[in-house]
Amino acid sequence: MNRRVRIAAAVGLAALVAGCAEDAPQDMFQPAGPNAQSIYDLSVPVFIIAGVIGVIVMVFIAIIVVKFRDRGQAIPDQVHGKPTLEIILTIIPALILIGVAIPTVGTIMALNDTSDTECVINVTGQQWWWEIDYPTQSGCGSGIDQPIITSGQMVIPIGTPVLVRGTSRDVIHSWWIPRLNGKRDMVPGRVHTNRIEADEPGIYAGQCTEFCGLSHANMRMEVIAMTPEDFEAWKLNQTKPYESPAEGTLAAKGEQTFISQCARCHQVNGLEDADGAPIVSRPDLSVYSGAAPNLTHLMTRNTFAGAAYNLLTPECRPKVWNAPSETVGAEYLKGVTPDCLNSVELREWLRNAPAKKPMYADPTKLEATDGLTRGMPNLALSEDQIDELVAYLLERH
Amino acid sequence: MAIIERPTDTPALAGAGAAVTPSSSYGNFRRPVQATGWKSWAFTVDHKKIGIMYGVVAMVFFFVGGIEALLIRAQLAQPNGTILSADKYNQMFTMHATTMVFLFVMPMAAAFANYMMPLQIGARDVAFPRLNALSLWLFVFGGIFINSSWILGGAADGGWFMYAPNSSVPFSPTNGVDFWTLGLLITGVASQVGAINLIVTALNMRAPGMKLMRMPIFTWMALVVQFLLLFSIPVITVALFLLMFQRNFGANFFSVEAGADPLLWQHLFWLFGHPEVYILVLPSFGIISEVLPTFSRKPLFGYPFVVFSGAAIGFVGFGVWAHHMFAAGLGPISVAVFSVATMAIAVPTGVKIINWTLTMWGGKLWFTTAMLFAIGLIVQFTIGGLSGVTHAVAPSDTQQTDTYYIVAHFHYVIFGGAVLGLFAGIYYWWPKVFGKMLSEKIGRWNFWLMIIGMNMTFGPMHILGLQGQPRRMYIWTGDRAGDGFFDLAFWNLVASIGSLVLGIGAFLFLVNVWVSRKNPPAPADPWDARSLEWLTTNPPKEHNFDRIPTVHTLDEFFHRKYEDVGEGDQHDYKQVATGAEVIELEEKYADAHIHLPSPSYWPMVLAISLPIIGYGVIFNTLLIVAGAAIAVLALFGWALEPPTADESEFDPPAPDGDQPSKELAVSV
Amino acid sequence: MSDATIAEPSDVEEIPAGYDDGQDHAGLPHHTSTGLSNTKLAMWLFLGSECLLFGGLISTYMLYRNRQADQIGPDQLWDIPFTSATSFVLLMSSLTMVMAVSAAKRKDEQRTKLWLTVTALLGGLFVAGQVYEFTTFYREGLGYTTSLFSSSFYTLTGFHGVHVAVGIIMLLSLVAMLAKGKLVGDNAETVEMIGLYWHFVDIVWILIFTLVYLIPA
Ligand code: HEA
Ligand code: HEA
Ligand code: HEC
Ligand code: CUA
Ligand SMILES: [Cu+2]
Repeated sequence: MNRRVRIAAAVGLAALVAGCAEDAPQDMFQPAGPNAQSIYDLSVPVFIIAGVIGVIVMVFIAIIVVKFRDRGQAIPDQVHGKPTLEIILTIIPALILIGVAIPTVGTIMALNDTSDTECVINVTGQQWWWEIDYPTQSGCGSGIDQPIITSGQMVIPIGTPVLVRGTSRDVIHSWWIPRLNGKRDMVPGRVHTNRIEADEPGIYAGQCTEFCGLSHANMRMEVIAMTPEDFEAWKLNQTKPYESPAEGTLAAKGEQTFISQCARCHQVNGLEDADGAPIVSRPDLSVYSGAAPNLTHLMTRNTFAGAAYNLLTPECRPKVWNAPSETVGAEYLKGVTPDCLNSVELREWLRNAPAKKPMYADPTKLEATDGLTRGMPNLALSEDQIDELVAYLLERH
Repeated sequence: MAIIERPTDTPALAGAGAAVTPSSSYGNFRRPVQATGWKSWAFTVDHKKIGIMYGVVAMVFFFVGGIEALLIRAQLAQPNGTILSADKYNQMFTMHATTMVFLFVMPMAAAFANYMMPLQIGARDVAFPRLNALSLWLFVFGGIFINSSWILGGAADGGWFMYAPNSSVPFSPTNGVDFWTLGLLITGVASQVGAINLIVTALNMRAPGMKLMRMPIFTWMALVVQFLLLFSIPVITVALFLLMFQRNFGANFFSVEAGADPLLWQHLFWLFGHPEVYILVLPSFGIISEVLPTFSRKPLFGYPFVVFSGAAIGFVGFGVWAHHMFAAGLGPISVAVFSVATMAIAVPTGVKIINWTLTMWGGKLWFTTAMLFAIGLIVQFTIGGLSGVTHAVAPSDTQQTDTYYIVAHFHYVIFGGAVLGLFAGIYYWWPKVFGKMLSEKIGRWNFWLMIIGMNMTFGPMHILGLQGQPRRMYIWTGDRAGDGFFDLAFWNLVASIGSLVLGIGAFLFLVNVWVSRKNPPAPADPWDARSLEWLTTNPPKEHNFDRIPTVHTLDEFFHRKYEDVGEGDQHDYKQVATGAEVIELEEKYADAHIHLPSPSYWPMVLAISLPIIGYGVIFNTLLIVAGAAIAVLALFGWALEPPTADESEFDPPAPDGDQPSKELAVSV
Repeated sequence: MSDATIAEPSDVEEIPAGYDDGQDHAGLPHHTSTGLSNTKLAMWLFLGSECLLFGGLISTYMLYRNRQADQIGPDQLWDIPFTSATSFVLLMSSLTMVMAVSAAKRKDEQRTKLWLTVTALLGGLFVAGQVYEFTTFYREGLGYTTSLFSSSFYTLTGFHGVHVAVGIIMLLSLVAMLAKGKLVGDNAETVEMIGLYWHFVDIVWILIFTLVYLIPA
């Protein structure tokens, strides 16, 4: 490439970048890990090549349009073509494309090799949220000896290649954290993998990108990358035993309401009934796709219901989300404190979930699913019950 | 009208005598041989009338799809839009795409192919005129059928590629998807029948001397498209049948519980879907390959290259479908193969771009509206094509897929390619078809507003997509729009405003038609054109050519007007005759006997039976029986009916001896 | 381009004898650019597209042939001798179709009708065999919705059966129209056309028979 072209390309790219939002969280031009980086390194030259070809074509046409306007000249020579010229002009694009194809194939192969991953995390798409579980393994830092189940937000240690294994319980969803890697469709009946790795601690936003029905727009996810030490702390917290709310508090009432209203779908590990028997949820009896989020540690995440809504108030959210990478892990690990709880949205959710997030949980539409809901139904809770539940959930740290 | 005797002065049918007693009289159900009135349109088998009706109905659907697009953009102009509910929004983009692709671009291209192909090859009609009418009415009724879902419980909501299993009953409980499958099966039959018809026409009905390599390039591209249709429609037919059996008869092709693989649908759909995108764009490539030479006053540069690259695009187009599935989990080998194959398709397409620009190079460019649209196509399509190449790089595509960057790509190739080309064709051939010129002044506004509008609408979508805005989201939130003035909110708003500009631009076309309706008759050869369709009057007579032309060269019409008076390598073209003179000469030597096929009821009757069966599948089995009965009736009626009506079926000549009108009565 | 010409009458090449506008004129053979008649070309094209239709259906079947979970599968169902017999019947019908076509070419209307009728009868026998087979399968527990295998098996063979049935209807209509002298156009060609279709359906069956019945799952 000669210098002038390079300058033109740089100027063009600069113009494009100037047109971009700052800090758009799903920007694919801000790779934050080796996988996304290798894609970026492949795409940028291709964009430049495409841009240059585009400019050449346009400039050429502009010249023609000016130069060969009808100025009353004679009928031009009726040339029918120049085969040599045409063959040359066919071969040049072919050569350029061969130049693009070789690194493309290389990158495809490299990205697909998952033999080096050190941590396995399963994700399961379901209309319209992701379940994320950590199977027992020796990887993921110091290993995981008790399965961890969470939803919406995946926590990973930095500098560790993570193997995301995914599937779906209903329709096809697509797992995508743009700053960490490209998309991978998560297809029911199949297991697909995606390798991610983050260089720096941070919150990396993503979005389900395969159209999956009504609330496809509200099906998001985040990856929270933290230092290995923070990650160990997070793991420890996820496996700590259940504590019942103190006797006589609102939260204690909430526990009862939860058992009567919510526990049939939502699991809270360690929750016991009056006889001391563990309460095991059976979401498959109520929810068409068969699962509901595990709420044991709801307040350790800061978004809910498919990462579509904030558990943090607008004041508190930036403190975590905009935290510099040195402190983001610590901020995140604080979880949702009472003063930061976005009770407005949480209450709206409990009051009437389908009104907040479109779902076929509407009783008039349940014929096709034998009365099972898709998503969380409206439970017609009283305001008092909601107060109790919020108090109870607030203790799910 | 069955038989036209020319150039005698005696009434055409006088031979039958005044005392006409229909030999096979069905009373009011006599063959609908009227030359005027609605029946002359409804039951016509004339490829030109059929072409016009195709075009008019397609245009109506363009505005339907456009209004759906405007509603989409209205919803997305602001974060958390409230104009459409999630449910309505999903129906809206599904139907927007379905309408635009299957009910606007494809039929509009069919309109041109129908109208122009016989004229361009010097034929009097297509090979099977009644089948042609069948195609038209299947398309019309199929389109109405799909759209009737709006008032019958909601339209399809699974997106235009209707991925399984999201299209199964539990996930899409309304009848929308049923309407969609059945409707597309019906329009599929239309395309299939049309494809066979037009292939036979192009291969078999060429005028003497019209060798394949002398065929006008539009005919060539239309021919390639018909082959693509011929081989891709059956594939989607299979997919649609499987889906219909799944939804309506309990089969479980896409039930994962039963062990089904959802990727089956994707393979079947895209094995159709990718050739489909070339089905959309190749006719427009053909159109501008006519327009550019005409207004550059030069032959198409590298005609054989353009022909073969078109065929190559069609051929390779069948081998790249999985580039729509780069994120679907195919495994690295397939991904690599399809990635490279997809890049390969840029080569023949590039050949076309290069040849078009070289056609203009050294020309004498006349910037009519048609020419502007053609040049617009080259520029806009190139942008879309190049973004296509960035998708072909599979790892990049895993970032880009299902974002607005893809939406930008395909609107640039579809709107900037297919649609601009169709408009070029409309402006170019309007005088041919309707015998009147459109206003060039309004045409210019039409063009520029559409160009500005499309770049304002679809340009920002590149930025939106690369910044991570996924497609098919009924709302987007401020949360993820980023900061700064040029955030995603800004670009979404620009796109929405752009769609209004685009809408106004498109609307100006209607204004133009309205304003130009009273224009004086167009001259015989308004553009100093080159190919055979201009070797007849504007609009053409019912029988197209007074005398079947004999073809000596590519660009036959041009060479009848201009002669090379240069010596040796020195070319010097002198006009030796005007277009009008050349046409007059043809009239003078008109053929004496011209046989044209007669109108028929049966195509329409047969066509209407299919939607009835469709409603039957959805609502009531009795309707299936009724529809099938009608179909059987129509098939037998059809088989027993001679292509040309008995002379006795015509009305006797009017008592005052007026000659029955033989000319095509064109009214808009 | 020096071959430019102005179409003065003297200059116009003689239009080849027999050339006309290629329309479907009752009964007249006509000139076409390729020499193939329009209807024949159309039938070939149609059959070309049918290949993809059956290709799609066969691929679906091949993908799902082993997916019957714990439901009844091919091994328990197939009765190869029986299906071989009906396949043989269908194969024979192709032969009789050939006879019909050659009779039609000889303008031997009697024989044409006879052979067409025989072909239709053989086709009918095949369809009857298929109906019998389906009912047996059904009684043995293979409903249309039982498993992926059953859905795709019935869909594939059902599509083929419908093609045969349509063929039979065409054959019988042809016989009736010949008898009444109502046939439009060139008789021999119409017979040949339906013959093409019939052979195609036959060949597809051979493929289906091999892939579905003979190659073990
Ligand atoms: C008219 C329709 C049309 C046309 C012509 C094209 C043309 C091309 N398309 Fe496009 N495409 C669509 C319509 C079309 N597409 C649609 C509708 C979708 C989305 C469907 C959906 O998901 O809803 C889609 C999606 C789509 C994808 C999938 C994206 C995804 O969903 O992840 C890909 C991936 O490879 C792709 C690639 C290409 C390529 C390589 C071409 C090439 O043919 C382009 C070739 C042209 C050029 C390259 C420009 C001119 C060439 C030169 C000037 C020569 C020099 C060039 C080089 C050396 C590079 N397209
Ligand atoms: C032939 C194909 C075609 C055409 C022509 C268009 C044309 C347009 N499309 Fe289309 N579009 C698709 C094919 C097409 N589209 C496909 C395949 C999809 C994917 C769907 C899916 O995901 O399933 C899609 C999706 C799609 C989306 C993404 C939706 C989503 O993912 O959520 C958007 C969003 O902006 C959009 C916008 C537009 C606009 C603004 C136009 C404009 O060009 C429309 C211009 C026309 C008019 C505006 C109408 C004319 C004028 C009037 C009605 C007069 C009155 C108006 C005024 C005076 C203002 N389209
Ligand atoms: C019939 C099943 C069902 C019942 C009963 C139910 N839920 Fe849910 N709930 C769901 C489903 C399904 C989701 C996931 C919805 C989504 O994100 O789209 C969900 C999501 C949630 C979430 C967000 C969880 C997360 O991790 O993102 C909370 C909080 C919640 N429910 C609380 C409750 C409470 C409190 C009750 C009892 C009053 C309750 N739910 C009762 C099915 C149920
Ligand atoms: Cu899940 Cu989209
Ligand atoms: Cu494609």
